[in-house]
Amino acid sequence: MMMEDFYNPPDHFIPEIRFKADTCELNISGESFHEYSVEFYQPVFDWLHKFLEIPNKTITMNFKMTYFNTNTSRRFLEIFDLLEDYEKNKGGRVTINWYYKAHDVDMKESGEEYMADTNLTINLIPYVN
Amino acid sequence: MEEKFSNYNFYSSFRENKISLAFQGMISQDLLSLIGLSLRRKNDNEMIARRLFGLVIELAQNIYHYSTEKAYSEKDKKEVGVGIIAIGETNEHYIVCSGNRMDSKKIKLISERCDYINQLDEEGLKMYYKDQRRNPSVEDSKGAGLGLIDMVRKSGNPLTYIINDSDKPNAFLTLAVKINKTLATT
Repeated sequence: MMMEDFYNPPDHFIPEIRFKADTCELNISGESFHEYSVEFYQPVFDWLHKFLEIPNKTITMNFKMTYFNTNTSRRFLEIFDLLEDYEKNKGGRVTINWYYKAHDVDMKESGEEYMADTNLTINLIPYVN
Repeated sequence: MEEKFSNYNFYSSFRENKISLAFQGMISQDLLSLIGLSLRRKNDNEMIARRLFGLVIELAQNIYHYSTEKAYSEKDKKEVGVGIIAIGETNEHYIVCSGNRMDSKKIKLISERCDYINQLDEEGLKMYYKDQRRNPSVEDSKGAGLGLIDMVRKSGNPLTYIINDSDKPNAFLTLAVKINKTLATT
């Protein structure tokens, strides 16, 4: 049976999340400052755990965030850890594209810090609106 | 509150301290979104508005998780923290501050954490942030520590705190941080 896609519509304080099982394309964009980030991201992790059960996938994950709070930054790190583990132990190939608005030095720095904190391939990509 | 209560004292005090925004009550996500919008409307510098917003969010986090004064939110179907968020300014800075009642032991932990963070340099802050993000302290399951470090990093200024009613089990903590109105050119 094909795995279903994951979709979370955006709101003022939660990002749009669109994970496509067939193309292995994971997109997350917008703002994230839900006050209960663990609870909010739980379904995301449930989906990812199931998705990563099957080995050898080539995955692209696109982050296009405009703002996220420190709690969310922990959740992102946990996502990176999962993906890193998948590369290391399940023959997966993972590329992270970290988009940031040109001149948004803080968002760029966040991407750089994840690069320093994980062994994943993270591309920093500036964009103009 | 008396029917004839006058807002004049609030008004005068706000004017005196150049407070442009103040809220007292249940800190909800909808409220925070609104504050974000109004900050963006007021500032032509998007970067400053975003950082200012980040400071509000991290301070608010502290209130809704740790305030000992609670109110029931019909929307969230649970009790959420009550407190004060205010933004004031001087000629060169914005000042963001929060105020709420908290368990005095918790206040002690937070103030000690502030003291520790305030003496770190830029590189030290970066390392401490990295370490705390991966290995949160036991008492910091909700992530308040990370927020404090982030506030100092984003504002470039130390945290200040004032504790009132410190002899009571639930003291009142004011946390504040200032941020330059213009970006430092690097």
